[in-house]
Amino acid sequence: MKNTSAVAVRKGVLTAIILIFLQLINMTAALGAMLEKMITSAKSVKSVSPLFYGVIVALVAFFIAFSFIRSLYRPGKPKPTPLYCLGESLVIGLVSGVLIAALNALISTLNANGVKIRTYLDMMAPDAIKTAAFGREIPVMIGIYLALTIAGALLGGLIAWIIKSTGQPANAWAALQRAIAENHTIRFIRRNKIVRILVIIAILIFVFALPFILSPYGISILGLVLIYAVLGLGLNLIVGLSGQLVFGFVAFYAIGAYTFALLTAPKPLGLEFSFPIAFLVALAISGLSGVIVGLPIMNLRGDYLAIVTLGFAEIIRSLVNSNLLADFTGGPQGIKDIGQPRQPGFIESLIGKPMPENIYFLYVIMIFFAVTLYIVYRLQYSRVGRSWEAMREDETVAQACGVATSYYKVLAVIIGAVIAGAAGALYASRNTYIGPGDFVFMVSVNSLAVIVVGGMGSIPGALIGAFIIKGVPELLRDLENYRMVVFGVLLIAMMIIRPEGLLPIRRKKIYAEPDKDLEILKKELKP
Amino acid sequence: MTEKTPKRTQHILETEDIIINFGGLTAVNNVNVKVPYQSIFSIIGPNGAGKTTFFNCISGFYKIDSGTVFFQGRPINGIPTDEVANLGISRTYQNIRLFSSMSVIENILIGQQPRLRSNSVDAIFQTYRNRREEKQSIQKAANLLDFVGLSGYANELSRNLPYGAQRRLEIARALGNNPHLLLLDEPCAGMNPHESDAMIELINTLRSELKITIILIEHDMKVVMNISDHIVVLDHGEKIAEGTPEVIRNDQRVIEAYLGSETETLVEKYARRKNQGKQAE
Ligand SMILES: Nc1ncnc2c1ncn2[C@@H]1O[C@H](COP(=O)(O)OP(=O)(O)O)[C@@H](O)[C@H]1O
Ligand SMILES: [Mg+2]
Repeated sequence: MKNTSAVAVRKGVLTAIILIFLQLINMTAALGAMLEKMITSAKSVKSVSPLFYGVIVALVAFFIAFSFIRSLYRPGKPKPTPLYCLGESLVIGLVSGVLIAALNALISTLNANGVKIRTYLDMMAPDAIKTAAFGREIPVMIGIYLALTIAGALLGGLIAWIIKSTGQPANAWAALQRAIAENHTIRFIRRNKIVRILVIIAILIFVFALPFILSPYGISILGLVLIYAVLGLGLNLIVGLSGQLVFGFVAFYAIGAYTFALLTAPKPLGLEFSFPIAFLVALAISGLSGVIVGLPIMNLRGDYLAIVTLGFAEIIRSLVNSNLLADFTGGPQGIKDIGQPRQPGFIESLIGKPMPENIYFLYVIMIFFAVTLYIVYRLQYSRVGRSWEAMREDETVAQACGVATSYYKVLAVIIGAVIAGAAGALYASRNTYIGPGDFVFMVSVNSLAVIVVGGMGSIPGALIGAFIIKGVPELLRDLENYRMVVFGVLLIAMMIIRPEGLLPIRRKKIYAEPDKDLEILKKELKP
Repeated sequence: MTEKTPKRTQHILETEDIIINFGGLTAVNNVNVKVPYQSIFSIIGPNGAGKTTFFNCISGFYKIDSGTVFFQGRPINGIPTDEVANLGISRTYQNIRLFSSMSVIENILIGQQPRLRSNSVDAIFQTYRNRREEKQSIQKAANLLDFVGLSGYANELSRNLPYGAQRRLEIARALGNNPHLLLLDEPCAGMNPHESDAMIELINTLRSELKITIILIEHDMKVVMNISDHIVVLDHGEKIAEGTPEVIRNDQRVIEAYLGSETETLVEKYARRKNQGKQAE
């Protein structure tokens, strides 16, 4: 073949390596099973059907060929002809198909001759070997693999060529944004006030109905996502706006949760306060802890807050985990029977019976989320939020402009701590049980991940980030052991494609007509 | 000492024997200046003479080792920079320091910090005070932008502005504070003659219309000689001469310090240096 290049062969080998790797850790089957479950909406898929196994194989070849053909279009280089594109894709498919089929032929032969491959390769149970061979004889199997990889690669190359030659933006995100910006309906909605209000009402109704639509599992996930969104909003104030790094945000979350739990649970303290009072006390105590952490560092420059909070979080966790303090904190056993909010009477009189607990609590969380959202929004687009951002940009200059940086630093930490405390109290009340294991370092990492993925300082970003960090892993549950691998790959891919986060912070436009009158300016500038 | 001094002395700023050391280097050595109200007071001197350091001493970035800085008769050394700003001293920077990922108008709103009163509670509950103050400060920011000729740029990110515009934005931000005293650190650096002229015009207006006292560090001798009431020459951290532009132009010590036995004047030397700089670019 005249039109082939060594690069295409290399890409074919790469495809084969990926396929072999996926097969050896049994991930092809897991991905196939997930796909099968999604498409056939079967309750559970014990072993993947050959069809979906094959689709995963073809998809890998598809993506490699797609990205390779796309990369051929470089500014300044002549555009490749369609035949050339197909030729290159064919090579990718052929090479990878031959290699992966050879591997499976080898494995099948060994297996047939009684070699216990499982003793060498943990994942290669006889069942898995059979699945990978599509349950066929070796010659048929080789044919199937070749057909799959070649078809996948050709399709990938073809689509890449179509996209490139029709001048569509290759970046799907940019394409989507452009489509949204140019879409007449969306433009109409944005411009027209009445339509906009109607859309907002529709969204509100949808949000309001959501707890009734969702399954109990969905309700529990949404609750967790919203709690993390609240956590993200709080951390955003400190990290995204005021620019101070925090490594131990879980400390404030734990303090809110434990304060609430200790005040409402029958054991160990037996106080059994009502929800509102315990909640308010939890806010106050976590705010106080913000003061304790914030004051010592308020005059320091640099990432001291990161270290101080990290230490503080460890101290809190050791305290609640210690046996010595078990009489006060529940110790390693944690705290049971944490109080829940009582439903106000009007709900029952309105719908005839009490609302199911989980639905009611989801509403409670939604309300707190909305309140936090409002507060954070107001702060961010005010003198206070601007001062925080100025500090993040250049602390020295901000201070020389008159920003009381020490005050604003502590203020950010306190407000962030109160919000985290609220999230913690909600979490404790929702779970009715908490223990030291709920407040590990991973919570701090996750809350940082929420704002990094969503976009530093961005309010909608916190919600999206929480959904991705806490919601997506749940959606990926079918992948079982590979869940975290796929999740990690997703995160890395996202940070490469959108390094500023999915919804980066948006500057609110500020308009005012200048008076064009020096006399007015003189008056305004009177010292 | 402070109690007896009248609030409004003859000089807006006085320094008394201020000294600052960095390790073995004395960057500012026994410098005394007296800056009259509503004057344009220039500081010149070769690179590394200690001019910027002198500004940093006034605005509180550096703690001076000895001496006193009086602002309107009150000693101000040792107080934090945000309180210096509250007193009505604003400044710009030799290497532009804007809040680069904030919008142009937001930069000016930050500049107004010392004059704002609403706090986080006002912001959350959108109190009357907050709404009124927000409206007024935005209007003032728009007027300031218009004043420095940037009214079309309000919602651009400040880092996206052209160089000259960034310099003017820094001045507008400094004005947001309603300053009595404005410290300008090489505002014409890197500007073409046309832009320099506009800057001179702007600085003159600041003094004549807005009654602001200006201390100016500038290398461009045309600018300095043109608009200064009074000039101080620093060299190796020490004040080697001061007086009106006429006096400085003919001061034997200045000429010697700068030029040794050569015959060219300070003005020519600066002109040459500037040309060299241009060629280097
Ligand atoms: N923070 C600092 N630490 C050490 N040396 C400094 C510092 N700031 C300035 N200097 C030194 O002080 C001298 C004066 O610098 P500067 O005031 O920037 O001069 P210029 O007159 O050009 O503005 C220089 O030698 C500089 O290296
Ligand atoms: Mg300097």
